[in-house]
Amino acid sequence: MQVRVDTDSMRTSAAPRPFRADPRARAFAADVPPDRKFKIEDLMAFKRGRGDLVFSALALMVALFFLMTFFTETGWDKRKLPGDGWTYWARQFGLIDGEGRLARLGRILKQGWVAPMICLAILVPAAVLNLRDSWRVHRWRVRFRQPTSLRYEGEMWLRALEFVGWFIAYTLLVPVLGYLVSTLLLGTLLPWRLDYRGPRWMGICLAASFTIVLVFRTGLQIRTPVNIWLYDQLPQQAAAFMKTWF
Amino acid sequence: MEALWTGIDNIFQPGVLVAMLIGSVGGLAIGAVPGIGPAIAIAILLPATVFLDDLVSLVLLLGVYGSSMYGGAIPAILINTPGTPVNALTTYDGYAMTRRGQAARALALAYSASFFGGCFSILIALGALMAFGPYLRDLGALFGQRDIFMAAALGGVLLIAAHRRTMGIAALLFGFGFLIAMIGRQTLKQVDRYTFGIEYLYPGFNLIVVIVGTFAISQALFLLTGKDDDPPRARLSGTLLAGFVELARHRVVALISAGYGTIMGIIPGVGEFVAQFFSYSTARAISKEPARFGHGAPEGLVASETANNAVPAAAMIPLLALGVPGEALTAMMMVVFFDAGIKPGPDIFENNPDFLFSLFIALLLVNLIVVATLLTTSKYIARMIYIPNRLLGAFILMLSFVGVFSIRNSFTDCMFAAGFGYLGYILRRLDWPLVPIVLGLVLGSIMIEKLTAGAGQIKTIADLVNRPVSGTLFVAILVVIAVTLVSTLRQRRFDPT
Repeated sequence: MQVRVDTDSMRTSAAPRPFRADPRARAFAADVPPDRKFKIEDLMAFKRGRGDLVFSALALMVALFFLMTFFTETGWDKRKLPGDGWTYWARQFGLIDGEGRLARLGRILKQGWVAPMICLAILVPAAVLNLRDSWRVHRWRVRFRQPTSLRYEGEMWLRALEFVGWFIAYTLLVPVLGYLVSTLLLGTLLPWRLDYRGPRWMGICLAASFTIVLVFRTGLQIRTPVNIWLYDQLPQQAAAFMKTWF
Repeated sequence: MEALWTGIDNIFQPGVLVAMLIGSVGGLAIGAVPGIGPAIAIAILLPATVFLDDLVSLVLLLGVYGSSMYGGAIPAILINTPGTPVNALTTYDGYAMTRRGQAARALALAYSASFFGGCFSILIALGALMAFGPYLRDLGALFGQRDIFMAAALGGVLLIAAHRRTMGIAALLFGFGFLIAMIGRQTLKQVDRYTFGIEYLYPGFNLIVVIVGTFAISQALFLLTGKDDDPPRARLSGTLLAGFVELARHRVVALISAGYGTIMGIIPGVGEFVAQFFSYSTARAISKEPARFGHGAPEGLVASETANNAVPAAAMIPLLALGVPGEALTAMMMVVFFDAGIKPGPDIFENNPDFLFSLFIALLLVNLIVVATLLTTSKYIARMIYIPNRLLGAFILMLSFVGVFSIRNSFTDCMFAAGFGYLGYILRRLDWPLVPIVLGLVLGSIMIEKLTAGAGQIKTIADLVNRPVSGTLFVAILVVIAVTLVSTLRQRRFDPT
């Protein structure tokens, strides 16, 4: 498609004017920052940052923990395997011809420890390889004096715990105050904590929280705790009403 | 044909139509807000679907799935921030067009390209259903337990191979998801696996708890600990209908991209990113002005948006045909199938053909509703961009509770969801992919279920691969592994940046 650029008007005008190329978009005006330069390869881009090495090490530790507990936590002690293990597998793969009946492989595959063994066969080598890659990147970062301190990343990880705390507090508050009151409380206190203060924000947050309750509890009748301390303090009819709808 | 008419009849029920409308418009709005993707919306909505009719639930989720990428193009074009991760490529040319004062044109082109991509793959699926429907009924006999086991294994291998730069991480997280699926009491042999004597773990982790934690709570934490964006103000005016006329000028690019989207959607574990990658590269290769790509080339925008939107309908095909989800969103939809007692897989062509027609027709209507909505209300939907991120985080956290608690009335579920959310948060911070966890969980369960069910027919190891389908799939697995290994070894150069 031909792009027509109105260069004359740009040259003669003293004041800066928006750059317009398409008459259909004449009414459009946007105040936008300079665009970032992308390459199509950026879609698949990945860069290991700070904290990657620590987390990769933790991932390997978790994988090794599952490997160590494999023999006690997967029914390995109740395993039923043919006595002559190596001969059996050699016959399974057709490496040798044996005499007598070959025990069915299906009987082994049904046993409880097989699935965790398949998982660990993926998990443990992947964790080792990942740690190796992470270590190589870490060494590169040290060599080229890139930031390696975990401090900032660790702080971010810790900061998220506060909001996990909010979630757990909300979860514990619902059986005491009921879904409606707890949601209104969380819906206003958490934004307040996040500095969305003032009557406008509080009004928006209260309305949004109330809408959530109306949609999910009143409308869709989603299950929420039934034995609620606050509702039990209300007169019987009011309590029944609140339990049914809120 | 009878199934088609029954399928259409099922769609025109008031409940289904309302779900379609809510899903489409809701998905649009969710897509337009950077920071929430369809995965989070679907994760939060999943528990609600337990209380809804099967078709209503699926149409609701399909509405969100099918429309969110349309919405995601709005911030990508207007403020250079993709609404959903798969709209990243749209920013390359879409935003450059905005900088040139062609925002309305870019949006119009994005909508029309998305509509074309969406309809193309749906019509291909519907056409295949009508043309091959009678033969597809025989698929049930062709696909045994071992074949589906092998298809799920291929899905896992493709998923790991598709994460080119993070294959080790993808394998690690896939293995982790797989391991989570194994936790609990194995009913066949009454063996407790990794329960450590904890009673809660005996029935195993609920899929919804893991999904809501990993996707929704982690995203809420990510938003809450971040900063609010200050997106630039963008005013939008002008007609959006011209995009359909302009799309006709780029019909070759649109057709190729829709084809890529459909094929990549069908292949489990691949999805939108690879489809876009191929489409954009091809569009650039065949363009007379390849230098314009990345600087506001309409063909680039068409390639990206068409490929994206062709994927959802195509991604339903492996889910419905084999019962094997190809990516996270269809994996989440499997929950609804399980809940409805409908077993996706080859038998569905025999038992519920009308259900299949209903789903694809619903997806077609979703595309129509979305385009009609966008053409009339883009200006208002664009305002969603300015909702503060941290406030969104607070409300996602609130919605996550409803999602998790309502499944089994269990506070322990909420605690575990919080734990998975925290883990997901750290993964997001490290830029590790989350999708392999969910697919490991779902594909792992399928693999083990099918392997155990088919164990009766497995005498020797050769019995795993001596059927036509399982043998072909096994060869495909070997080819994928070989190609991946060769390409990895060729690019052995260490590049930490």
